[in-house]
Amino acid sequence: MAMTGVELPPVRPRTSARPSTLRRLMADYGQEIVVFAAILALFVVVTMVNPRFISANNLTSIFSGNAYIAVAAIGMSMVIVTGNIDVSVGALIGVLATISGTLAVAGYPVWVAWFVPVLVGMAINGVIGILVAYGRIPSIVVTLGALSILRGGLISITGGTWISNLPPEFLIAQKRFFDIPFPLIAMVVLTLLAALWMRYFPYGRSLYALGGNPEAAVASGIPAERRVVAVFVIHGFFAGLATILFATQLQVIQSTVPSNLELTIITASVIGGVSIMGGSGTVIGSTLAAILFATIGSALIFVNVSAYWLRAVIGLLILATVLADMLRRGRA
Amino acid sequence: MSETTPFVALSGISKAFSSVKVLKDVSFDVRAGEIHALLGENGAGKSTLIKILSGLYTPDAGTVVIDGKEMKFASTRDATAAGIATVYQELLLFPELSVAENVFLGNYPRTASGIIDWAEVRRRTRDLLDSLETYDLDVDTKVLSLSVAQRQRVEIAKALSKNARVLIMDEPTASLVDSDVQQLMTVIRQLRDRGVGIVYVSHRMSEIFALADRVTVLRDGAFVATEDIGAVDEARLVSLMVGRPIESLFPKAEVPIGETVLEVRNLNRGRQVRDISFALRKGEILGVAGLVGSGRTELALALFGMTPATSGEIRIDGKPVSIRSPLQARDLGIAYVPEDRGLQGLVKPMAIRKNVTMATLEEVSSGIFIKARAEASRALAAVRRLAIRCRDIDQPVGELSGGNQQKVVIAKWLETAPRVLILDEPTRGVDVGAKSEIHAIMGELVAQGVAILMISSELPEVVGMSDRVLVMSGGSVTEVLDRADATPERLGAAMTAYVDTPSVAGAW
Amino acid sequence: MTLRSLIRHETLLALLLVLALVVLSFQSDRFFTVANLLNQGRLMTETGLIAIAMTFIIATGGIDLSVGSILGLAAIMTGVFWHNLGLPLPVAALAAIAVGTLAGLGNGLIITRFRVPPLIATLATLALYRGLAEGISQARSVRGYPDWFYVLGQGEVLGVPTQLWVLLTVAVIASIVLAYTRWGRTVYAIGSNEVAARFSGLSVEKTKLLLYTASGFTSALAAVIFVSRVSTTRSDMGTGIELDAITAVVLGGASIFGGRGTVLGTVIGLCLIQALKNGLSLAGVTGDGTIMLIGAVLILAILASNLFERSGTR
Repeated sequence: MAMTGVELPPVRPRTSARPSTLRRLMADYGQEIVVFAAILALFVVVTMVNPRFISANNLTSIFSGNAYIAVAAIGMSMVIVTGNIDVSVGALIGVLATISGTLAVAGYPVWVAWFVPVLVGMAINGVIGILVAYGRIPSIVVTLGALSILRGGLISITGGTWISNLPPEFLIAQKRFFDIPFPLIAMVVLTLLAALWMRYFPYGRSLYALGGNPEAAVASGIPAERRVVAVFVIHGFFAGLATILFATQLQVIQSTVPSNLELTIITASVIGGVSIMGGSGTVIGSTLAAILFATIGSALIFVNVSAYWLRAVIGLLILATVLADMLRRGRA
Repeated sequence: MSETTPFVALSGISKAFSSVKVLKDVSFDVRAGEIHALLGENGAGKSTLIKILSGLYTPDAGTVVIDGKEMKFASTRDATAAGIATVYQELLLFPELSVAENVFLGNYPRTASGIIDWAEVRRRTRDLLDSLETYDLDVDTKVLSLSVAQRQRVEIAKALSKNARVLIMDEPTASLVDSDVQQLMTVIRQLRDRGVGIVYVSHRMSEIFALADRVTVLRDGAFVATEDIGAVDEARLVSLMVGRPIESLFPKAEVPIGETVLEVRNLNRGRQVRDISFALRKGEILGVAGLVGSGRTELALALFGMTPATSGEIRIDGKPVSIRSPLQARDLGIAYVPEDRGLQGLVKPMAIRKNVTMATLEEVSSGIFIKARAEASRALAAVRRLAIRCRDIDQPVGELSGGNQQKVVIAKWLETAPRVLILDEPTRGVDVGAKSEIHAIMGELVAQGVAILMISSELPEVVGMSDRVLVMSGGSVTEVLDRADATPERLGAAMTAYVDTPSVAGAW
Repeated sequence: MTLRSLIRHETLLALLLVLALVVLSFQSDRFFTVANLLNQGRLMTETGLIAIAMTFIIATGGIDLSVGSILGLAAIMTGVFWHNLGLPLPVAALAAIAVGTLAGLGNGLIITRFRVPPLIATLATLALYRGLAEGISQARSVRGYPDWFYVLGQGEVLGVPTQLWVLLTVAVIASIVLAYTRWGRTVYAIGSNEVAARFSGLSVEKTKLLLYTASGFTSALAAVIFVSRVSTTRSDMGTGIELDAITAVVLGGASIFGGRGTVLGTVIGLCLIQALKNGLSLAGVTGDGTIMLIGAVLILAILASNLFERSGTR
């Protein structure tokens, strides 16, 4: 320690008790705990109404069905933590899925069909990152533009036709390992790895710094522009991985992407505790939130509410989370 | 005590920002184991100089020599590696991160496997804070819930964590309680005795004379002098800073004081405004003294309707009024010139004419339409009356100097023909010339019967300009003194007096 | 923000528009006919109305992403009020406009009362309002409106499409308000420095509330015109219109950060986009190619705007 050799003033006994570990966990991970509790609560309530809710089939569908959203949300959470946003990721996944399916059908090895789109995703998002960081264009605007370009591009390329006759070895999302569906494994592993990286590696921590106080981050020597580009590239990487799960779910790849996929992904991050103001939140939260959505979506079906109300529910959830965040920060 | 070969030597440093020369051929050196004060008016270049030393800016010309080796800092990282640490006035902390992480961000102790060792981070932060006698601050608290003084401690701990050889402190005591200032000075002396070189940027003469071994004065971007502290006195330093002998800065003339125009009784708002009562009379200047966090600005904001009082009574001319918005305050004849003119007082990209009329738009409009000619004539009159130095009334106020910007804010509020003018740090960041002009304007206003409430952290200004002084501490009024009784001792005692429970006292 | 620099951006843009018109008229002889130009005017009204309101919002440094969803919701409600509830069509249309206006008010309240940043607030209401539209309509569309209804969307007054008159009127009023009134001054002040505007006694909250409500109003008005033009209501109407509107505003010289922007600029930007769309479709490019281009135009427009800002042409 730097102060050896100098006589320090006598140590005064602590006058305030340190908050217990439990309280500290609540303060740091409150949102994640809330989401987890919501999932549990839903399970309990819906199962009481309709016991078939917890059938093995449905559980698989809930925990694996939205895995690709959770994986995409990992990258999105990182982007949002730095204080940016990406509303084009849904269209990006659509484009990447088409590339993936086309490669698979054309006879390329499955590794190519899986991982070339990941590289493409990283490249495209790299361009977006450069426009945001060096072009100084707010990310909402760049990604709004990218959304159009990608969406238009997708339709132009596919012409509306679906890709079918996908080779069976390509469809990894349908496979199981140790009797656990692959998407579930991928989701859990990737989430844990990402969470560890963001907690225990300075590079990961620097994302929080960028989002929390960009000026202070620069003053601490963090190369802001390069890191923003990097975080978009990483986001493209996860979008690419999500595409693997998405494109290999069914025997066909549609020419369109589920509507408002990007909104769902963003919402997963926000509701999972990643503050849209930047600087806080974890990928564990966003994964839990993705599971929550699947649970809600499934719950709606099992209690016989029309699926067309799902989007309204999600909109309400975002609002509620954001309002709570505002209150917590003492702004409202 | 200190060797004479400097550890840091800057020579011939020049720096310009888009054709404005901010530093001209400045030389400055710091020895190991010395406290070197850096003095100069606002705009003298102190801030730029220390930013060059800390690697944030690169000089256009000149050399930076550290420990005998010439260095070119490409970033703050380079400077930190060379042993230069800075504690800035605008604290650069991350509100959503913990105290411990703020201290060690970018500089984390690692485990054997290379990942961040959080236990070590927290342990070392605890030790650093303890060495600064900050025992009650939990290292896991998020910075956003800390007070200004606590955040200062975190900044200092951060600088210490980097084993600095030179520590630059930019106005470190601006937000500290007196006892904290004493402790800080003790710590600074300890660092000096260990061989650290300290660059101490401050306006506070008492601290400079108490701490510094040498003092360097800058003026208008140029080097003026470096002296041993024993060889100068305050008057000499001030004249070096300003370049001219100082006549009385505070020409408060005698003015007849009329009836009470503003009366405040038992005003309350939260913890910052507690049971405040006072009266303000026409032609009077009531100074409001107190440390940062004593509630002065909060009182002003309550009177101005920005954050209305939750209980208590305000009377204008004897009639009780309710002030719940700035518009209401304005209509009642209350005007407020805010503390932070850049953020709260001016719209910098907009022209002078638009800023001047911003609080009185209806008066230069017919119906909803703004009349350009009416606006222009008002703006011109204001520029003339307050001697605002500008190119023309269409010039964006952001281009004006600090003193002239402040005059625009004052002009804006004078347009509302206020009866009570609240000034919050009216001459902060204003050069000495404009400062005395603003004081003269205040004198004119009270001669016309305006009542002024002047919040100021500069005791000489408070004592020099006020008829009476209201002293606040911890949200309450602790003393009301006539000018004759307002000695530094009585003011100091009142500013640090505890009211009610000890938890109220001081900043934290 | 001097008059000089303002004129400079709009002039450049107008020149660009003229250039585009010239090029396009050479490219296809069907372009530069009165019939075609008027028809383009007809087509751009819906985006135009929304873009005009968006100009004010962006000038305050805000944004409204929910305009498309409000359009969809209002369109659906027109159908619901008329078809399901049996209200007379004019009343149904007015009621739908009221719903849209309320939706805008909702946005405004979330933003002013709860201090949620406009980006997030309108992102959330984009989902909520579209979700309501989908839920209420259950994805069924309503058709079979009476013939007189189509006067608004498909008819003409004095040889000019009806809705174009509406757009012109709104544009003129809006530009006068923004440039010459106290409200306009307040808008720019909020966009440049909201805190200082507040400290100067300007009614920041009321202004914002009004602007987002107005945005809801114009979106709903656009919805009625849209329904009248295409003779049907569907819950996915208006999807993506926010992109066109924001592009027009930014192209027109507004800074996305607030403090700048004019209605004239937006209108010219709008014409430019419409000309581009028309030119592309006459050249045989399908609709998706067009939206690709609009996206690219948005990004380029802001890049250019940033470059301008940096070089001091403010």
